[in-house]
Amino acid sequence: MNRVFARQLSLLLITLFLLSVFTFSLSYWFPGNPVTNSSGVSTEHPLFTEIAEARGFQSHIGHQYIAYLQHLFQGDWGLSLQDNTPIWQEFKLRFPATLELAILAMAFALLFGPPLGFIAAIYHRRFADHVITSFSLSGYSIPVFWLAQLSILVFALVLGWVPIAGQINPLFDIVPVTGSIFIDIFLSDSPYRAAALLNALQHMLLPMLVLASTPLVLLTRLTRSAAIDVLKQKYVKGAYARGLSRSEVFFRHVMPNAMQPVLRQMGSAFNLLITNVLIIELIFSWPGIGSWLVRSIFERDYPVIQGGLFILATLILFANIMMNLVHAWRYPQVRQEFYAS
Amino acid sequence: MKPNWVNAITLSITALFVAACSPALPPEHNGVLYCAEGNPESFNPQLVTSGTTLDMTSAQLFDRLLEYNNDTQDFEPALATAWEVSNNGLVYEFELRQNVSFHSTDYFTPSRSFNANDVVFSFNRWLQPNHPFHLVSGGNYPFFSATRLDRLILSVEALNSHRIRITLREPDSSLLSILASNFSVMHSQEYAQQMLEAGTPEHVDQFPVGTGPFYFRHFRKDVAVNYSAHEHYWKTRAATDNIVFRITTNDHKRMLMLLTGDCDISPYPPARDVEWLDQRRDIQLQRSLSPNTAFWAFNTERVPFNDARVRQALAHAINRESLIRTVYHEHAVIANSILPDSSWAHRAYPSAYAYDPQRARELLAEAGYENGFSMTIWALPVQRAYNPNARVMAEQMQSYLAQVGVTAQIISYEWSTFRRDLAAGQHDSVLIGWSADHADPDNFFRPLLTCAAKASGNNRAQWCNSDFDEAVTAAIRSNNQRERRAHYYLAQQILSEHVPIVPLAHSIRFQAAAADIRGLKPPTFGGIRLQSVYKEPQNKQERMP
Repeated sequence: MNRVFARQLSLLLITLFLLSVFTFSLSYWFPGNPVTNSSGVSTEHPLFTEIAEARGFQSHIGHQYIAYLQHLFQGDWGLSLQDNTPIWQEFKLRFPATLELAILAMAFALLFGPPLGFIAAIYHRRFADHVITSFSLSGYSIPVFWLAQLSILVFALVLGWVPIAGQINPLFDIVPVTGSIFIDIFLSDSPYRAAALLNALQHMLLPMLVLASTPLVLLTRLTRSAAIDVLKQKYVKGAYARGLSRSEVFFRHVMPNAMQPVLRQMGSAFNLLITNVLIIELIFSWPGIGSWLVRSIFERDYPVIQGGLFILATLILFANIMMNLVHAWRYPQVRQEFYAS
Repeated sequence: MKPNWVNAITLSITALFVAACSPALPPEHNGVLYCAEGNPESFNPQLVTSGTTLDMTSAQLFDRLLEYNNDTQDFEPALATAWEVSNNGLVYEFELRQNVSFHSTDYFTPSRSFNANDVVFSFNRWLQPNHPFHLVSGGNYPFFSATRLDRLILSVEALNSHRIRITLREPDSSLLSILASNFSVMHSQEYAQQMLEAGTPEHVDQFPVGTGPFYFRHFRKDVAVNYSAHEHYWKTRAATDNIVFRITTNDHKRMLMLLTGDCDISPYPPARDVEWLDQRRDIQLQRSLSPNTAFWAFNTERVPFNDARVRQALAHAINRESLIRTVYHEHAVIANSILPDSSWAHRAYPSAYAYDPQRARELLAEAGYENGFSMTIWALPVQRAYNPNARVMAEQMQSYLAQVGVTAQIISYEWSTFRRDLAAGQHDSVLIGWSADHADPDNFFRPLLTCAAKASGNNRAQWCNSDFDEAVTAAIRSNNQRERRAHYYLAQQILSEHVPIVPLAHSIRFQAAAADIRGLKPPTFGGIRLQSVYKEPQNKQERMP
């Protein structure tokens, strides 16, 4: 396990290094002055030369890269070209909002995806299986932006159950401290925290469900086919022959074995989710990294694109490495695979 | 096997849905949600030109010396209770209101009420290039330089604590209109001084302090601006406790949010949905005429447009009503003068611009163009409130002109090139327009059609007429409204005879609100006023499809 850990850690560091080189080089790829592209300070700014110097632009490229890393770790991500506000300040409020939405959606998908897959597998070729399979197939085929529009139409416009924009009704006057609305409500001294929490949940519900839909159906389908495979195995028959009850067979043998290939795909489910977060945040006016990144692309706000890209890629990277580690920790044969590769 | 826990979770999710249906907002959090169409650029109206920013700041946070009342078409006292103009029209004296309190916020507590120092500070900031605040936040005051007020005003001085005197370089009767405009707001000199001493002068424009009906709470970019009612407002306290501007740039999204109750008021609904919104019982739709004019200007320096008969003929050749229907979707009214119908100096000359292709052909024959000619129509390449789609308009005009034998070619460059070549007078004719900065009719004449405007490159018709110039100059030198009106009538008559421009349309601004919103007035000159707006207290409103 230690070897796996060391391998994954070095993989993480190498990829992070390549990622940082890539985002650093973006300042040169983008049109315009590389100093402006990385710092957001225009060439006419009185402090331009000092900033260029602080970022190592009077020296060779290696120096510039090191200065870039220093700025990155110090939280000096430059200024937005659009409104000259520090990117880090904005990022600090937006990242937790995205993370909150993504984690809740992922948790929802994990809570419901595999169980639905198991139910379908247990009732293979029966009514429950048909219902779940058709749902997961249609969920898999519907593009997420369309699902979002459709759910707004049905649940917000026709039924009037949920709001469609933002994290909370702004009249609650919850001061954004962390950016995560639930933590902010907890931190606020509002006497109506319970009502605010309920309101925030209402706002969270629709984007969370739509966001969860893609990883959820992915996990359902994966679990179903894995469980069907496992159920056919001789050791399952053997377990029944030894007189184990249905639930004992299921929880001792079927579930752990079926989860192994599912766990392997958990990383890609998360990747899908982060990709969809861009669209969902835009549609539901969620003040997170995704909508910020999309807008900055429209407005050619290069320092923001650089920062946003770096952080989303890092997030995906971390999630996948974590998933690998959990996978290796739970399943010895996976550990073997990691050694072999 | 029976997955009971699945049932349990499904049940709790359903319970959340059901709970979500009950009204969640406690009574103390009452307020009105206004879906604004963009982020404010600044919280100081002196620094901006965008209508979005003005809507969100000026009338909500600040007061002016006087107000323009659209119904009576006259000025009303605001922070100035009375004013006098000297006989030569050069000296204006204003008596200021007593006991007007500034906002108390978490970043500023005023120690005194509004007085002459605040007025002097508010003027001198943009008037004096060496003022300590002049260069703060960029140092551009577009409205005051566009109206040339920075050159018109010689000095602003305090006579005593509640009396000020403004001295002009030359008489200008549009001064009161400019002072009543949304840009001429009064700041707190005391607050500015504190910020200057603290080394953060730019906070004056980011964390505003005014005397208006609401005070600033906080602003989160792309999310919302929160204001609360100013308890010691010198006029009636605002009808609602809180106002939140939710930033929603997409017009379709704004409409959806209005329908779902995520906002109470939404400006500029999508053109195609206006009719549908109007029929809904849960939505009230208000409209007001915007102070702008779309027009078709001829380059009167070029042959054949130097002949007034040709210009008259072209005016008769196009069917403006059909153009307006196609381009504006009922979002405009036909313009029969350069001045919008709402102005006190407006006089319409519909016959001069009526659709009459027969008359057009006769006039062209008279001018010696019975076989027609070919010309260019420059179509504005950007979307403007006064003309949402100049290109489509030009295409339709092309077919009308073809019917009288004139071949028109449409030209549309990228905006900066377009403007540069237009100022250089390289066009035959252009579809463009003008949005007024303030309520005075002068704003539609002197900046647009005088010989001076021609020299500065803003006269799209390259037209210079001494009678017209005389009329509008006489009007601005006079302070007597009856006299001024006579001059403006004459000016409009000259325009209808010479036709340097064909007025096309005045656009209509729409504003949609939930049915339970009370006290909402249609947007007037330069913006919205939310102090009288409140939400009818009732249980969850019915949402009717």
